[in-house]
Amino acid sequence: MELLVSILVLGATNALLAAGIVIVYKASRIVNFAHGELAIVGAYVFYSAGLITQGQSLLLTIAATAAISALFGVAIYAALMRRLVGQPTFVAAMVTIGLAIVLKAAIVVFWHSKSVGINLTRQTLYTFPGGGRLTLVDVITVSCCIAFFAALFAFFNHTRLGRQFRGAAENPLLASQRQVNVNLILALAWGAAVFSASLAGVLFGSRSMLSPQSTIIGLSGLTAALVGGLDSLRGAVIGGLLVAAATYLTARLIDPALSEAVPFAILLIVMTWRPWGIFGTPEELNRV
Amino acid sequence: MMKSIAARLGLAAFAVGLATAPLQAQEYKIGYITDLSGPLAGSYTPTWQGFELYMKALNERGGVNGRKIKISLDDDGLRADRAVAAAKKQVERDDVLGIFGLSLSSTIGPVLGEMRKAGVPVASTFSAILDALPPAKPMYYSTGVAFEVAGEAIGVLSQRIAPKGKIVGVTFDSVGGRAALRHNKLMAEKLGYTWDEIVFPVRTADFTPFAQSAAALKPDIVVGHYGAEQNLGYVTALRAAGYAGPYVIAAYGASEATVKQAAQQSGSGANLYIVSRFAPVTDNVPGTKSIKDAAAKYGLADLNSMHVTGWTLGAFAEEALKKCGADCTRELLDKALQTIKIDTQGLTGGAIEMKPDDHYGTSFWRLYRWDTDKLTAVGDWQSQGALTFPTQ
Amino acid sequence: MAAGSPYLRVTYAETNRILPEPYQRVLVVAIAVAVLVLPMVSNAYVIYLLNLTFLAVIGAVGLNLLTGYCGQVSLGHASFLAIGAFVTAILSNRYGAPVWLALPAACLVGAMVGFVVGLPALRFRGIYLAITTLAMHYAIIFVLTTYQANFGSSATAGISVPAPALGGYEINSGRAWYYALLLVSAGVVVFSLNVSRGYIGRAWVAIRDRDIAAASVGINVARFKLLAFVCSATLAALAGSLGAYFTGVVTVEAYTLELAIIYLAMIIVGGMGSVAGAVLGAVFMTLLPFGIERLFEALPHAWRLGTTSYGLQEAVTGVAIIFFLLFEPKGLIEIYRRTAEYFERWPFRYRELQPAERR
Repeated sequence: MELLVSILVLGATNALLAAGIVIVYKASRIVNFAHGELAIVGAYVFYSAGLITQGQSLLLTIAATAAISALFGVAIYAALMRRLVGQPTFVAAMVTIGLAIVLKAAIVVFWHSKSVGINLTRQTLYTFPGGGRLTLVDVITVSCCIAFFAALFAFFNHTRLGRQFRGAAENPLLASQRQVNVNLILALAWGAAVFSASLAGVLFGSRSMLSPQSTIIGLSGLTAALVGGLDSLRGAVIGGLLVAAATYLTARLIDPALSEAVPFAILLIVMTWRPWGIFGTPEELNRV
Repeated sequence: MMKSIAARLGLAAFAVGLATAPLQAQEYKIGYITDLSGPLAGSYTPTWQGFELYMKALNERGGVNGRKIKISLDDDGLRADRAVAAAKKQVERDDVLGIFGLSLSSTIGPVLGEMRKAGVPVASTFSAILDALPPAKPMYYSTGVAFEVAGEAIGVLSQRIAPKGKIVGVTFDSVGGRAALRHNKLMAEKLGYTWDEIVFPVRTADFTPFAQSAAALKPDIVVGHYGAEQNLGYVTALRAAGYAGPYVIAAYGASEATVKQAAQQSGSGANLYIVSRFAPVTDNVPGTKSIKDAAAKYGLADLNSMHVTGWTLGAFAEEALKKCGADCTRELLDKALQTIKIDTQGLTGGAIEMKPDDHYGTSFWRLYRWDTDKLTAVGDWQSQGALTFPTQ
Repeated sequence: MAAGSPYLRVTYAETNRILPEPYQRVLVVAIAVAVLVLPMVSNAYVIYLLNLTFLAVIGAVGLNLLTGYCGQVSLGHASFLAIGAFVTAILSNRYGAPVWLALPAACLVGAMVGFVVGLPALRFRGIYLAITTLAMHYAIIFVLTTYQANFGSSATAGISVPAPALGGYEINSGRAWYYALLLVSAGVVVFSLNVSRGYIGRAWVAIRDRDIAAASVGINVARFKLLAFVCSATLAALAGSLGAYFTGVVTVEAYTLELAIIYLAMIIVGGMGSVAGAVLGAVFMTLLPFGIERLFEALPHAWRLGTTSYGLQEAVTGVAIIFFLLFEPKGLIEIYRRTAEYFERWPFRYRELQPAERR
């Protein structure tokens, strides 16, 4: 029972990270390799904001971090990605790799590589018979993930801007001829992606700890997105849960030291059998 | 008549003194290389700060043998090629007598290879490789933590927590971690404990499954052999998995700051222990008073046992240079290092003493328990001489 | 005389020359002389940096064959380096093999692994290929980590490699290494130029530009893609093997994903699809961190921001990648070409309709 809960919680974190990668890919066909670093830097910003408000106003800290993350996402688009229109997507991916290096160095410069923990809440909700605890943070993680995905589904399917988004992703030139503000769409996409990254990072930091090395969670998110399909939000959820389940089960039942290789094993299997992911659209393979 | 002769003699002596003074105002040049920007910067930066603090205070007092000490600082980012490049630069351009500090064992090996060729002695703290233990290989000394020795020390000190039962050792998949675990296991089994172990990947960010595995084994003591930051994550996960028993942090870079954070993050500081070679700054010994005074003077805050580690290395360097003498060269420094003994003023359990065939000496380890807001010692210092079990 | 403009070349021999213009020949001779004389006038630190640069050049030129010419994005370069290093270390440490046996054996194993890693390339392109090579990288590193953890002891924290000896002469001084590495990297550059100017190089470029079109003109795409992977992996294994001898100790921690990205950065910054670009990029990316370090040392003490300057050095690699991709996507070699073209044409200002092929 405890195992199931842990898988759900980790799966939710992976799904959130994967969602950010999927949003950016859906909008612009760019794979964002900096997503893990964005998540951890966002969490560090939350930590510092918490220090500034001295832990008094949680709402203010959340609002500040959300605003900073979204604005940073828009800034990435405006300053970097916009200039790469027309170049092959490999170039944009390399730019995100460069961004990842810069962000990791930023943690060293601004936070002196200190390991920190985020203290959202300490409340335990329920204790399992085996001794494990279900904490409020676990519940918050899963509910945030559900809420975020619900919001995304509602946005894409039921709002005008959401439909325009899908149109712009499908064929930017045609969409811009029909008065869809493609720049706005892409800026929104990046803002939402970085916001979701920070959210995932903060939730992760509350359950575990933050250090420059924690950026490795980006890799699980990327694997989850690839397994589920780079342009499918449904796939992000399924992929996230799948990767979490495989990692945990390997760590608990087979051999802890092997659990690092599991996401890559899954990746190789999926790449061989169904390269565009479980829910991805098949033509993606030849598009790049 | 006599007065003017005396005056002239005095003037002559003064002139001679002036002429030789510039020679004596030369500085001792030493190098310090460590990880200031990489994965372990959180632990290594305070160690450097402690060393720097000692040297600042020393220079204020007039230095050693009338000469001040000049340190060339370089960052290696925990990469062996950068460590070697920095070492070569310090040897060629900065003309250093010896190199201090260093970082993880994977960077020490390559640096040593080059420095032996150049004839420059190396003294590391924080990590120690087996070259320092008897029979000692040349040109390398250490006041730091050797994994095998730490493992055995923790095995012995576990008796103060629980005299018998099951110990679960946890480490990450590295050469040092596995070595520490091996010696911890041998010592624990010799003392009558049952042993189990969990090894997780180096790059783990989420410790939940490994903590749950440990808790499922129903141990009486859990020992963690890894760096400071992993303890933070692991303790949180361990407590969430339902294990409320004793958890011992093996101090490879962990300090009272780590324990405090772990206590905060996991929600409870109960049953949290640390085994460290150097005392936390809250211990009331002459050494910590010196550090606190110097820190207050030069504006360094948030002291912890990592600063103590660097400070002790500073004292070590001072003693070596003092013994080396006014005309110190690299060979003389190496010779001096082979027989020095420093009084650590309570910062560790006893003197740090080097011998020609033992460049590590007897090390002292103490078990501390976290009590609400500081570490209290559990019993006295435990001395570890030569290794009880042979290395692989 | 045909000097001065590509339009005035009247024989095939002139068109096919590697260095058609006199000023290029003078430049190359000048560089060669400088490189040969340099160790006599520098100290051991500079020689060490140059040795590191030569090792990087070998690796970068290898990666350029794969990613620059053939267009196959590969994030697994560090794992090939690691394989070269480990095979060398195991053979010379465990079995006492001499360098003339261990080095070729490392290259052979590298070639075999390159073949295996190249197989997914037949199916994927672009980002998916990058991801697959990333997965392969982690798989290989995982195997090597397990090996090192079970073999090495804390004393060496890795596998130690004795200095290479050729015919009784041991290479263990900076100068000796300098000339040895100079020889090997010059050989690698010549090999790369040769391959790129021949049928294989042209087939690779065709595959890079449009592999479906290449297949339609009769190029065996699968064969050439695999060949590219094999060549690149062999050169990387060579670089890794030499690096192992040079450093004296092999640890798997040195071969991270960041290293693969640095090599990619080298060919991007230098200019993809150009051997001279790969060399320039290797020199630039290797010496840049040390240059920044020197810059910080020159600042007055108060400006050095304590230890945060080291964090900034880390950022420099990322900044360089972003900067070059945004503003100079064709790399450093493009700057050279623009300058050279400007002076070639001076005082005229026209630009060619069909730029002459440059290497």
